[in-house]
Amino acid sequence: MQGALEGIRVIELGQLVSAAYCAKLFADYGADVIKIEPPDGDLARQWGPFPNDQPDREKSGLYFFLNTNKRAVTLDITQPRGRALLLELIRDADILVENNHPAQMRAWGLDYVSLAQLNPNLVMISITPFGQSGPYSEWHGYDLNAWHFSGCSARYCGRPGEAPLEQGTFIADFYGAIAGAAWGFGATYGRRLAGGGQQVDVSCAEVAAAVFVGCGNIGGYAQDRKFDSRTGVGMSAGAPATILPCKDGHVWVMALEPGQWNGLRHVMGDPEWMQLEMFQDMAVRAQNQDMMYPLIEQWTMEHTKLEIQEKCQAAGCPVTAVFTVAEAAEHPHLRERQYIQEIAHPVLGNVRDLGAPFKLLACPGGPQRPAPLLGQHNDEVYGTVLRMRADERQQLRADRII
Amino acid sequence: MAKALPLQNIRVANFGWVWAGPVVGQTLSYLGAEVYKIESHARVDMNRMLPAFAGGVRHPDRSLTNHAGWAGNGSVSLNLKKPEGRALAEQLVALCDVVVENFSPGAMDEMGLGYERLRTIKPDIVMLSMPAAGLTGPLRTVRTYGMSLTSLTGLDSLTGYFDGPPIPCENALADPLNGILGAFAILAALNYRDRTGKGQLIDYSQHEAMMQLVGPAFMDYAFNGRVAVPIGNRHPLGVAAPHGVFPCAGDDRWISIAVMTEAEWLRLVHAMGDPEWAQAPEFSCAAGRVRHIDTLHTRLAEWTRTVNDYELAHTLQRHGIAAAPVLNVADLYNDPHYRARGTFIEVQHPLGFRETIYGAYVKTSRTEAKVSPGPAIGQDNDHVFKQLLGLSEERYQELIAQQIIY
Repeated sequence: MQGALEGIRVIELGQLVSAAYCAKLFADYGADVIKIEPPDGDLARQWGPFPNDQPDREKSGLYFFLNTNKRAVTLDITQPRGRALLLELIRDADILVENNHPAQMRAWGLDYVSLAQLNPNLVMISITPFGQSGPYSEWHGYDLNAWHFSGCSARYCGRPGEAPLEQGTFIADFYGAIAGAAWGFGATYGRRLAGGGQQVDVSCAEVAAAVFVGCGNIGGYAQDRKFDSRTGVGMSAGAPATILPCKDGHVWVMALEPGQWNGLRHVMGDPEWMQLEMFQDMAVRAQNQDMMYPLIEQWTMEHTKLEIQEKCQAAGCPVTAVFTVAEAAEHPHLRERQYIQEIAHPVLGNVRDLGAPFKLLACPGGPQRPAPLLGQHNDEVYGTVLRMRADERQQLRADRII
Repeated sequence: MAKALPLQNIRVANFGWVWAGPVVGQTLSYLGAEVYKIESHARVDMNRMLPAFAGGVRHPDRSLTNHAGWAGNGSVSLNLKKPEGRALAEQLVALCDVVVENFSPGAMDEMGLGYERLRTIKPDIVMLSMPAAGLTGPLRTVRTYGMSLTSLTGLDSLTGYFDGPPIPCENALADPLNGILGAFAILAALNYRDRTGKGQLIDYSQHEAMMQLVGPAFMDYAFNGRVAVPIGNRHPLGVAAPHGVFPCAGDDRWISIAVMTEAEWLRLVHAMGDPEWAQAPEFSCAAGRVRHIDTLHTRLAEWTRTVNDYELAHTLQRHGIAAAPVLNVADLYNDPHYRARGTFIEVQHPLGFRETIYGAYVKTSRTEAKVSPGPAIGQDNDHVFKQLLGLSEERYQELIAQQIIY
């Protein structure tokens, strides 16, 4: 079956998460993604997780998840002949995805202005913590720094007086990767109208600062010079809206609208306190949440997360279990939708992997081919795409360029 | 700057609701698409009643939150509870390339606006359906808010202080991200349409899309059966230390510091003035620093505690260390970096007041996004019903009087 992005060629030049996940979104839907790795490989190969915690550059779970459906070549772009080969690949590509420091790209002579001369139709998706312009564009940063610079943590996550929290994953990188894919492919799709390619400058921090934090806070601050910070509890405008412990873990207790609150009352057996006037409005409940949450917790502690979810959902109340990664992965819903897939890998054997982030019903997409071994497609790409002879490739290998 | 934006010939009917659906429309609009949100006074979207309000006046056309989140969308007001309202919606869809909706599964079908119906009106329509957990499967009717949706993916079980209980993220992290990824899904389907002539329905489960964020922890489960716990600000794969947020001088002031390489560690030690504790053998390699991360972080916090966060970030950056202040909302607005990038901009609302929203959240070198604030309800009615659909003035007024255009 044809993928939606069949015929689009993407060159990926980056390390770790943001560029790789962005390019994976293209690869999942049928684009030909050629990943360029330095001779000793993407750093993600060193990060794991590894089966039995035994490091092996062909067995990284992070690398596997981020690089399905891609072809990978090794190339030393710090050598002139390596760089020349990269430029040949870029010349015929539709998209370049990269997440290198802007100064590094300039030092390599791979800044957008230079590349646009080579390929005016190229869309260059640059994903960095702080972006290509502005006083901190020269700053050094990782996912952690970008997320905490976006305002998300101080505003929305953590207890007052304690450290603001990240989400426990590479959340800023994912934000940047997804924004890069949408804007980058928009720019590619409309190249003819727009009169050519362009650079798509993604700051991971800025995307989250704008669409997530800015959305609900910046207008109010600009007008009133007042702002809110994290509470550590949940939503402050309405209650209940918090995570509470239960018999076997935790549940997200949400009951805001009157119908939802009544559903919760019903499930909890309508105790007397829930009938009091002061608990009939979500805003008033929020003011009394310190009194209310322990009362709800007494009930949740007597039940399991699935019991609570099922009973509340049936009563029209949007309470959900806080699933562990295992519970989330094994849920029958995902099995029925075939979200988790097994993919055969030459070194790892059969690997369970997350499937397509969304299903295009005419051409579904999702990972089918395993993440490549280091340099797995050197012969294929240098031989077939760049039409180099076997002896030329052998020479490059001898010179440690590929 | 070229005049034509990449998606300028794409028209979108956006039935999207609350936050995720409207951000789909916004993203396509910033890339040039003509987007109409279809809504009604008959059932005002709760997003229009989110504070703060322009001038402090509580009104569905004055929510500043709404004007940021829905920026880029136009608006037509149609009462879809009435058959004539649905007929007009169909006429509009016939002139569109894309339909977006994020109701519960089946809601569009119940209104007679499901994919099977719409494809008879516009055979190559691309329709994005983005309910909480997709169009099929036992959880398809699950009720969630964007804020709690991530609990079903495992993501919430990773968020919290190390080994403590899960701590909620106090707003819907998933919504805008789903909006942006939904726009990518549409673009992929448009690319397929242009090549094959075929439209399609996109089954977008917000649950599955957000579960991608759990990918690294999922792989540890898949390989080793290990079930992750909250990790605070530690590295998600536990390979680096220091990696955290440290207190600085002042009320609720913090700095993030991440050290990934030996060179960076040595530079940090140097930046701290080569303190004796940092020479201890347990800190001499990454594995040792990770093993003794609590002691290491305590030591580092003692050093950062008395220093201004911005000054310290500048100092550490001069030493080539990844460090940045932890910003609050006021900092976002005032920070010179976001100022220079035009992250937040003041605009004129069609009802006459000035307000601040976020601008193009990605920068493009050739084309410039046209940013207009979230619409007043029905602001594009004249254009859509009279120019696009060709209604006479008389008929238009009649439909308004009958509260069909409403």
